[in-house]
Amino acid sequence: MKIIAIDERNDIEKRLDVASIIEAANKLNINLEEVIITKNNELVTEKAKIKENDEIKFLSVISGG
Amino acid sequence: MTCSRCRTKPVIKLPNSNISLCKTCFLKYFERKVRKTIRQYKLFKKGQHIGIAVSGGKDSITTLYVLNKITKPQRTTKLTAIAIDEGIKGYRDETLKFAKKVCKELKIPLETTSYKKEFGKTLDQILKKNDIKPCTVCGVFRRYLLNKLAQKLKLDIIATGHNLDDEAQSILMNQFKNNITASARLGPITGIKSDKKFIRRIKPLYFLTEKEIMTYAYLKNLATKYDECPYAKDSYRDEMRTLINNFDRKYPSSKHSIINSFIEILPLLKKNHKKTDINYCKSCGEPTSQEECKTCKLIREIK
Repeated sequence: MKIIAIDERNDIEKRLDVASIIEAANKLNINLEEVIITKNNELVTEKAKIKENDEIKFLSVISGG
Repeated sequence: MTCSRCRTKPVIKLPNSNISLCKTCFLKYFERKVRKTIRQYKLFKKGQHIGIAVSGGKDSITTLYVLNKITKPQRTTKLTAIAIDEGIKGYRDETLKFAKKVCKELKIPLETTSYKKEFGKTLDQILKKNDIKPCTVCGVFRRYLLNKLAQKLKLDIIATGHNLDDEAQSILMNQFKNNITASARLGPITGIKSDKKFIRRIKPLYFLTEKEIMTYAYLKNLATKYDECPYAKDSYRDEMRTLINNFDRKYPSSKHSIINSFIEILPLLKKNHKKTDINYCKSCGEPTSQEECKTCKLIREIK
């Protein structure tokens, strides 16, 4: 199914054809240890189910300085 | 998948176990873990004046928020937020704005000093003219100024937002550089010895991962998008973070194992390095393990 995936750290937004959040993270080369995930602006785990047109945002947990 | 405790929708799967938690159960778990760390390692006593080093990033703001929540009922414990403005345009000015806002909301006084005020130059200006590693100069100057400010404000202790990820990185970095003396200074309470001029630092978030802290900060509206220092990318620490996170993804709980095994040997490390003297810098009089402190040496080196 097609979803909107956003990698906030690298300012990337893509429409991806994937079956899971984990697959979307892999396609964007995101280590799931380094992000929290929102689905349609609601915090979810990487195992959350997705459906067509969901917006999945990967928010970086990395801070520094 | 549901919350392991109350069977509602989960917001996080805890990194070191198969437990998933919903918002309510996670917030309770998080605060309980901070309380346990404070109690177990006797991080501070009631009635003390605690300085909280805030940068405006999620770790320090979460530390401020949680310590305020924990100490508020005690009434006798005083909190003051302390901040160092390194002078990183487009980053620190933004995070400090956020820190000011949170301090105002929580009614916690905020004391600030800056590289410009203390050294005559911002970090941006220093890096423009000198071929020097940003994190080296920043770490040295910031620790120096925090300690100086803490002495001026007569703080008993400084709380920082260091977390489990930071500590695991530091442990491996010290191992890779064969710098065990530096490791002996780590742990939930930093330093090896007490000294009247050295204000010890405590890490209430020591046993929480970056991911857990970001989850808490997100749920409590304590996170900003200006959380990553522009100079931190491609640093040695950044490479170590990637290495550990890749490893942890493949072999879950590796990070926790680094910390748990380190905590077991830490008392021995501290005991073995207790002979390390605390001197006072011949140039500025601040505490140092050498004849002259790193800050004075760096100030002479930079243009």
